[in-house]
Amino acid sequence: MLLFDQKAQAAFKQNKAALVGLAFIVLILLIALFANILAPYDVRTQDIMQRLRPPSSHHWLGTDEFGRDVFSRILFGSRVSLFVGVTSIITAMVFGVLLGAYSGFKGGWIDQVLSKVIDSLMSFPSLLLGILIVSAMGPGIRNATIAIAVAYIPRFARIARGPTIVLKENEFIMAARACGATDARVIFRHIIPNLVGEIAVMSSLWISAAIIIEASLSFLGLGVQPPMPSWGMMIKTGVDALHMAPWLAVFPGVAICLSVLAFNLLGDGLRDLLDPKLIR
Amino acid sequence: MLGYAIRRIIFTIPMLFFVFTVVFFVMRLAGGDPTYVILGDQGSQEAVTQLRLKLGLDEPLIVQYVQALKNLLQGNMGESIINDRPIAPQIMRVLPFTIELTIAAILIGLLIGIPLGVAAALRRNKMPDYLLRVFSLVGLSTPSFYLGILLLLLFAMQLDWFPIIGYKRTGDLWDRLYYLFLPALSLGLGKAAFVSRVTRSNMLERLGSDFVRTARAKGLSEYKVIYKHALKDCMIPIVTVSGVYVGVLMGGAILTETVFNRPGLGKFLVEAIAQRDYSAIQSGLVFYGIIIVLVNLTVDLLYGLIDPRVKYE
Amino acid sequence: MTGLTMETILQVKNLSVIFNTFEGKILALDRVGFDLFAGETLGIVGESGCGKSVTALSILRLIASPPGEVTSGQIIYAGKDLMTLSPSAMRDIRGEKISMIFQEPATSLSPVFTVGEQIAEVFRQHLGLKRREALEQSVEMLKKVNIPEPQMACRCYPYEMSGGMRQRVMIAMALACNPKVLLADEPTTALDVTIQAQVIDLIKQLQQDMGMSVIYITHDLGVVAHISMRVIVMYVGRIVEEAPVMDLLMSPMHPYTQGLIDSIPKLGEKIRGKKAPLKEIKGMVPSLLNLPPGCKFSERCRHVMDLCRQREPELMQIAPGRLCRCWLHHSKGENST
Repeated sequence: MLLFDQKAQAAFKQNKAALVGLAFIVLILLIALFANILAPYDVRTQDIMQRLRPPSSHHWLGTDEFGRDVFSRILFGSRVSLFVGVTSIITAMVFGVLLGAYSGFKGGWIDQVLSKVIDSLMSFPSLLLGILIVSAMGPGIRNATIAIAVAYIPRFARIARGPTIVLKENEFIMAARACGATDARVIFRHIIPNLVGEIAVMSSLWISAAIIIEASLSFLGLGVQPPMPSWGMMIKTGVDALHMAPWLAVFPGVAICLSVLAFNLLGDGLRDLLDPKLIR
Repeated sequence: MLGYAIRRIIFTIPMLFFVFTVVFFVMRLAGGDPTYVILGDQGSQEAVTQLRLKLGLDEPLIVQYVQALKNLLQGNMGESIINDRPIAPQIMRVLPFTIELTIAAILIGLLIGIPLGVAAALRRNKMPDYLLRVFSLVGLSTPSFYLGILLLLLFAMQLDWFPIIGYKRTGDLWDRLYYLFLPALSLGLGKAAFVSRVTRSNMLERLGSDFVRTARAKGLSEYKVIYKHALKDCMIPIVTVSGVYVGVLMGGAILTETVFNRPGLGKFLVEAIAQRDYSAIQSGLVFYGIIIVLVNLTVDLLYGLIDPRVKYE
Repeated sequence: MTGLTMETILQVKNLSVIFNTFEGKILALDRVGFDLFAGETLGIVGESGCGKSVTALSILRLIASPPGEVTSGQIIYAGKDLMTLSPSAMRDIRGEKISMIFQEPATSLSPVFTVGEQIAEVFRQHLGLKRREALEQSVEMLKKVNIPEPQMACRCYPYEMSGGMRQRVMIAMALACNPKVLLADEPTTALDVTIQAQVIDLIKQLQQDMGMSVIYITHDLGVVAHISMRVIVMYVGRIVEEAPVMDLLMSPMHPYTQGLIDSIPKLGEKIRGKKAPLKEIKGMVPSLLNLPPGCKFSERCRHVMDLCRQREPELMQIAPGRLCRCWLHHSKGENST
């Protein structure tokens, strides 16, 4: 596959930014997996005597309004962000790419109708669509994930549809069909592998967007519910206590920025890699 | 141009219906029983029955839809569940704040983003270019509400240069601008990061193009070559991209209004959500949808004015 | 050859240009030098990549500065070396005294301005005309280049016009201020054959009317025969032959020139009663990164000698007006400076 041959790997290694991004993502993944080992405190441990304390040697990033350790909560918060971000986008990818490839491949009135629907859905900003769906379905991590996935299905559909329309005119497609290949086989074996590059780039960039949306939803109280820590939710309580304890709002934000930055770097790096103008 | 404009305007009408329909049906179908949403499971049988009657929930769904549509077209968005006051006037009262915030953010984004993008393109791979790429990457990775918090902490709380609450009830134009500045900046910088990237890549392409070479061969000053020829051709993609971004901005405005405690459609929506005010949530979202469709229309029409291929069809 | 005096309008001396690329430094032009006389059309021929466009761009100092670099040379015009001029002085020359037209009219015109505005720009920049006057003059220029309905055409955008019309617009833009020198970089290569003939004739006619000198760059010997009076043949960044056009075509000196002439298919040519096969120059143009020592044409030359592979010949004047860079003719000539 185009993405994994020798030359591509060598070029990828040269792109430092992408490597940094990838390294960061691995780091976050490890933090998420081993949060229970890395965190000095449990997320729920309250200590009212210690509430709203600034960073100290006991509590590296301070404590929140219930005396819970901010550092630990941030570590555990990575689970939510990573889970929602990755799951929603992968779900959207699967449904969206199939939808877009099918629509582009079939052409005709099916394509006309589907692409109109896709374009109309895309005019909704993802955050608003997320708010709509979560408001209707009720808050929680599951619904937030579904909401974000639904928002991104049209976007994946769009990036799959365009190249499919171009590709299906290619002779090797016609040859395959002439050999009696079913539509599904043609789509899976011939068209989708050509989409992998573009899909990889956009997935990475959209995961970072999904993390921000999840944080925004949690900020609004629509995402993950307490006591599960979410970076967005932590920022909200931080805003409420901004005078007294600014660190409550600042540190979770840094975590969000770094995670988003990591996926953005990876996505940009992949994009540079695949840009035909830059191929030597 | 006229044909294009008329076609776009006509196309907007089904879009508006579509928005309303999506919001209505998602809320009804995806969300369970509205009475449950509003009253929780604490509601007495009586309260539930009353509410169902009031909201007309016993009618078939299609009838409810048509009725809601009719109401909407008459400017009636129902009453707030919580305080029983009509929703439409409430929204209209806070709407200007959101609009001014969004417009200010767009302007800031363009005024900062375009020059930065041009500067980076002109000094490719030198210091200004690297700085810009770092800035734009960081800007894109920072949620706008978080940026707002940081700005608030630094400029309002620490330095006391700007007020903490994002609006003032009475006040002249200067006051309004003063209170608008930090919130608009927090939204606008994100847009600037995005616009600067688009500007940079488009300018780089134009600067190496044939028609720029011709402009130089004509003996035009470098200033004219860059701004009159190269940049003007970039405006089309910049406007297109900005149009898409307005939706993102409006989403971000919801959170910004909360951070800065500014009145607006976003704050209205957030409060409605917190209070589980079903009707208000629905109406708020419909309103957002309508505004976005209208903004998209405006951007498309603007696009028609800039691109000669469209202008003179 | 009426109006042809031996007054030298432009002198290129010792021009060398390099390009800094990923793979290394490429010597695009190696000590190129020639004179351009008043009122003449000088053709520059050669294959793609031989440096003909780079020569023209260097005259107007339009070589993109990274990655290109002029490492030596003088361009003498009106007694001054253009290489030493300040940017603003250079801008006064461009479009007013020395103009250039390019190969791809489709992409060489700005898509967001009308044709009239783009021509008017030249008037406003160099002659200081006001907008309305400049537009009126633009209409006049469009008339001169034989564009029908010039008033209406003025308000058109480039995308609304055909290739031939766009090229005429370019010519109008270039000639607006009555320049002394026109550099034409393959202006008809991208056009249909019938339009080509029209545009070439237009240039010829305008040249006579306006008494300017033209450097016409092309890879097509047929076009060269039609339009130029003298020809320079370039190969791999060097001049290999220079001669009046008839002499060049009837009795070429350099084997490369001979090869170019031979490779033109001739209708009805027969050898022993059968249709003659196309003659080609064997081999390929050497990569600019990996030039052979000695004469750069040695690997492809029919008459190659040992000397050719060892030492590169100098450009020698073999007869008045005839220069050649080849060991075959070396003994007959003196070094041209």
